[in-house]
Amino acid sequence: MLARIITGLSAGAAYALVAVGVVLIFKCTRVLSIAQGEIGAFGFFIGLRWAARGIPGLGWHPARFTTLVIAVVVGAVLGGLIERIVIRPLVDRPPLDALIATLGIALFLALLEKELFGTATQFAPSPVGEWKVTVLGATLIAPRIVALAAAAAVALAVFLFFSRTRFGLAVRATTGDSTVAQLMGVRVNRVYRFAWVTAGALAGLAAALLGPAFGGLTPFAMTSFSLRALAGAVIGGLDSIWGAIVGSLLVGVLEAVVGGQFTTPGTAELAVLLLVIGTLVARPQGLLGTEGAT
Amino acid sequence: MPASRVATVVAVVATIGGSLLLGDVKLSILVGVIVTAIAALGLDVLVARTGELSLAHAAFLGVGAFTAINVGSRGAPWPVAILVAVATTAAAATIAGLPSLRIHGLQVAITTLAFQEFADVFLFTRTDVTAAGRTWERPAFLRTDVRLYLFALSLLTLVLIVRHRVAVTKAGRTFLAVRDIEDRARVFGVEPGPSKLLAYAISGAIVGLGGSLFALKAGSISAKDPFLLLESLQLVAILVVGGTGSAAGIVTASVLVKGLPQFISTIPFTHLKPDRIVPITSAGLLVVAVVAAPEGIGGVYRAAGRLLDRLTGARRRERPEPRPHVVEAGADGATMLPHVERPLSLRMPVPALLEAHDVRVEYGGVTALDGVSLEVRRGEIVGLIGANGAGKSTFFNAVSGLAPASGSIRFRGVELVGRRASIRSALGTSRTFQDLGLVRAESVQENVLLAQTWLARYAAPVGILGLGGTVRTERELRKRGAIALEVFGLDHLARERVGALPYGTMRIVEIAAAVAAGPDLLLLDEATAGLGPEESHELGDRFLAIRDELGLTLVIVEHHVPLVARVCDYAYCLESGVLIAEGKPLDVTADPRVVESFLGRAGTASSGADR
Repeated sequence: MLARIITGLSAGAAYALVAVGVVLIFKCTRVLSIAQGEIGAFGFFIGLRWAARGIPGLGWHPARFTTLVIAVVVGAVLGGLIERIVIRPLVDRPPLDALIATLGIALFLALLEKELFGTATQFAPSPVGEWKVTVLGATLIAPRIVALAAAAAVALAVFLFFSRTRFGLAVRATTGDSTVAQLMGVRVNRVYRFAWVTAGALAGLAAALLGPAFGGLTPFAMTSFSLRALAGAVIGGLDSIWGAIVGSLLVGVLEAVVGGQFTTPGTAELAVLLLVIGTLVARPQGLLGTEGAT
Repeated sequence: MPASRVATVVAVVATIGGSLLLGDVKLSILVGVIVTAIAALGLDVLVARTGELSLAHAAFLGVGAFTAINVGSRGAPWPVAILVAVATTAAAATIAGLPSLRIHGLQVAITTLAFQEFADVFLFTRTDVTAAGRTWERPAFLRTDVRLYLFALSLLTLVLIVRHRVAVTKAGRTFLAVRDIEDRARVFGVEPGPSKLLAYAISGAIVGLGGSLFALKAGSISAKDPFLLLESLQLVAILVVGGTGSAAGIVTASVLVKGLPQFISTIPFTHLKPDRIVPITSAGLLVVAVVAAPEGIGGVYRAAGRLLDRLTGARRRERPEPRPHVVEAGADGATMLPHVERPLSLRMPVPALLEAHDVRVEYGGVTALDGVSLEVRRGEIVGLIGANGAGKSTFFNAVSGLAPASGSIRFRGVELVGRRASIRSALGTSRTFQDLGLVRAESVQENVLLAQTWLARYAAPVGILGLGGTVRTERELRKRGAIALEVFGLDHLARERVGALPYGTMRIVEIAAAVAAGPDLLLLDEATAGLGPEESHELGDRFLAIRDELGLTLVIVEHHVPLVARVCDYAYCLESGVLIAEGKPLDVTADPRVVESFLGRAGTASSGADR
């Protein structure tokens, strides 16, 4: 049981990396992005392809660790592009429009992955080494340990960012009221771009850790991972970064415990569905969210 | 008949006639396209009318198809199988819609996404659900592909009729009201909760019909692809590319996304791989459509129709202002608003129409009204004045049931506190809102009908089916609405969209709608806000006419002191939730405390009022 909880926490930590991005985007732009999983996965697919066949034109085979770097960089670039081309024209439109746009992006990226890389599971060697650690009866492979560490680091970075930096203050101002923030001299567009680029990078990191942790990656696999991250973000409260982390960890643990307890396929998903609905019915703003923020 | 409608009819007849000339293989493809179109049209009922997005409609399509096969393959007659499938899918959609009672928009979309995922990996992996190995034999009269295609077309027609019935009856109006003015709509007699669930049920029922058609065509189902997450996302893509709210656009998009790839692959020796190109193109188009063409294909059709009508001179623009004078009611019988039957009505006349005693309203520790007592007599125009935040609108909310009040508010001797907002409108109160209680996306006529929701005393689903006296009731309400518009000189604007009218006209539309609901007491919240002096003066004349000619009692919240002095019989002044003065309007506005609180220390009553 304890071992399952720890395994679940490590998966939850990887979901949290995606979820923090989702919440960051939501806080800054009031857009709920369901494309984060595919944004990250696309970067990692490219990294894997280049590691296996060499970078086109250069013929250089990047080391395994670079697949992670490529995933992060491509994720960040994609995030920035999407913000500039798709999201910014939708600023004054109903929030559902932007959600549908991110849905189209997710679909497009996943189908593009399918075209470029095929439907077979891409074997994903761990970019962070092949070592293992046994904690309280749970054997965790390297990507899972790194996911836990990365989630902790992100949590710390977010805390320092919002409390210690001027730009963090600008982001908080934009969250409160973007029009007022603009009048006070905050460059709102820079805040928007920052949110999408950061979220894209986090998604790339998450994909590079989740793929190897679950034995490979297929197109649309990250969609179901990002679904768990979205569930975590909604449970924790869409405008709370701490909530996203807590919610994702909850989802990861619940999935591991229920999935380990019952062999019927889909029981874990049922449990997550019930947790989402139960939380929202009891507390519509989520565990740590602000009332009226959504 | 306008040219655009003629063109529509010709296009539809030509398309159907032309499609019948196609071979069996292509007709069978078209049946699949119709399944998708029906599912997308069902999704559209939810998205266009309630503003909520479901990402689980492919799962609902699966629920319909699997139920139909499960029931049909066990020997039930085909209509029974279809009915059971429709009912089961409606029930599943309603259950999936339950969270929407507590949460909104984006969060609802996520819960439906979780529902789809659950269906993918749990429901559709169970062999008892998927009817593995079972086959539903098509009834004898549907054995040929042409017949199945004609049957599919008639189901599509049925769906279009249902969508039309939803649009023209209570159901559709209340959906839009809940979407745009959720809380305010309650004063019209709209119940947001049941209304939302009904939208999910209707949407589910339509998708269930599509699922049944899928099952009829396939007989048995081995591949679950058409019911998985990817397909739900494709349905959204079809909806957005086609244009929400546009049936013609959605059907066209279904043909392009679902039919085209299969048609291309029937061409011999082609090297195109449409089944790979089309999904990714439609995903890309979805993004482009949301950003650049939010009205989709439907928007193109509408623009073409408008152009055609303008070229043939079928459409002219009306001046968006109301005619100046109120038609004298009673001068000829036709302009009299028919009397309405009320529940709990008291025959005995009570001198005070509205008696408020010690009314308190608290919002999370903040006292907005602190023991207000006042009285409104039948036939009076009572003014309620005070600075911003004094509690005037809160008092209106307490009377109409939108704010949690304690104390006592008696209307015609009946206690209102503790009753639902919809009951209060049925008892004879009606109101307008500072921030406009109208659905801007709808026509003037539809808004007036919406305000009469409490008079539409039929169950919304019964109305859609047109059973009982619902058709007659609707006809009477439309007549009532038309008379109210005529009384306010708005009849020439009945078909205009409210959002396209000038602000002052919207205000009068709102008052006309409130009057059409047949109240005895009308509460007008800052009706002159944002109007120029001339318009305000005219509105004052209308207040007097509403009282003198329609026999209503009015309470008006007003900042414009000369107007209060001119039309009011009595005035109350509120400050920080407490009454500080009452009496004749001129006395109240001259009261030093009122001057200080409301008009500011520097000015006198008259100079301060001439803003």
